[in-house]
Amino acid sequence: MDHFAAAMIAMGIALGGGAIGAAIGDGLAGNATINGVARQPEARATLQGIMFIIIGLCEAMYFINVAFGALFIFAIGK
Amino acid sequence: MMLFDVEPAPVSHPTVDLGCGYWCTINYDSVISSGLSILITLGAAIFIARRLTSTNPGRLQAIIEWLFGYVRRNTMENAPDASSFVVPLAATIGFYILVANWLDFLPITLVQDLHPANTDLNQTLAMAIVVFVLLQWYNVRLRGWKGYFRYFVGDRPHGMSLAWRIGFVPLNLIEELVKPITLSMRLFGNLFAGLLMGYVIVLILGNIPYVGSVLLGPAFLALWKLFDVGFIGLIQALIFMLLTIIYFGLAREGFEAEHAH
Repeated sequence: MDHFAAAMIAMGIALGGGAIGAAIGDGLAGNATINGVARQPEARATLQGIMFIIIGLCEAMYFINVAFGALFIFAIGK
Repeated sequence: MMLFDVEPAPVSHPTVDLGCGYWCTINYDSVISSGLSILITLGAAIFIARRLTSTNPGRLQAIIEWLFGYVRRNTMENAPDASSFVVPLAATIGFYILVANWLDFLPITLVQDLHPANTDLNQTLAMAIVVFVLLQWYNVRLRGWKGYFRYFVGDRPHGMSLAWRIGFVPLNLIEELVKPITLSMRLFGNLFAGLLMGYVIVLILGNIPYVGSVLLGPAFLALWKLFDVGFIGLIQALIFMLLTIIYFGLAREGFEAEHAH
């Protein structure tokens, strides 16, 4: 297997695994927000702000994966 | 032909060598774009500060006061006795990152070899290291050198037996050392992936014959930039700022418990 194929596979695994984790994290954050709003509708604005921050934190892991995947493809695998 | 064709893959940064090896080689694209953002940040700050009035506040002043009040409120909740330097630090970092991210709305990548500032790891790592060094300085000032040493070796988790506390020493060290890494990688990864996505959109959609380069590519690029730069750029600036404050709050962890009596 040459370098480029290995880099492509590595990026695929990184993207897939990262996407699973980010999706689960986003889902949990959304779930908790819905629960919170259902219990206390007047807290909606506060909870939404917190939810977006948590989603940003969750997605960050995935985007770090994307950056490293691009590193594999462009820098190592050429 | 397409306008975007000049855009290189955003992985390689053009460097200029000052003639003394590795540590003097500078990614000049990041220097230019961050310099631009610093100038805009300073200009906006001075412009706003000149126009501040207590009798007749305008719309702009209301927005700025709301933002500053947000930073101040968060700092007061997390690290009240450090607020004298955490508030300016966090507000400056947040505003600068926001300006640097939103500069991406301008087509600065059309200029040869120029990338947005935060798509360079050196750029974000520099800010994270500044935060990290100030954090250690604050910790030393809070506890003294002896307390600072004990903070890492044999003082956490508070109230457990000595064997547990010695076993936690590597975890305490890793927890501290990983802070600048996650702080910088988070911002860099988000912005870099956004830039890469824009590049891929142009690469794939822009090469569709007839409609790609004039309609599909620009339209999808505009949509993507609206989401990525406008939303993710804002959220990431907010997160960097809030984490700066929260880290200063975490440095006080256990301090009241030990010095309560």
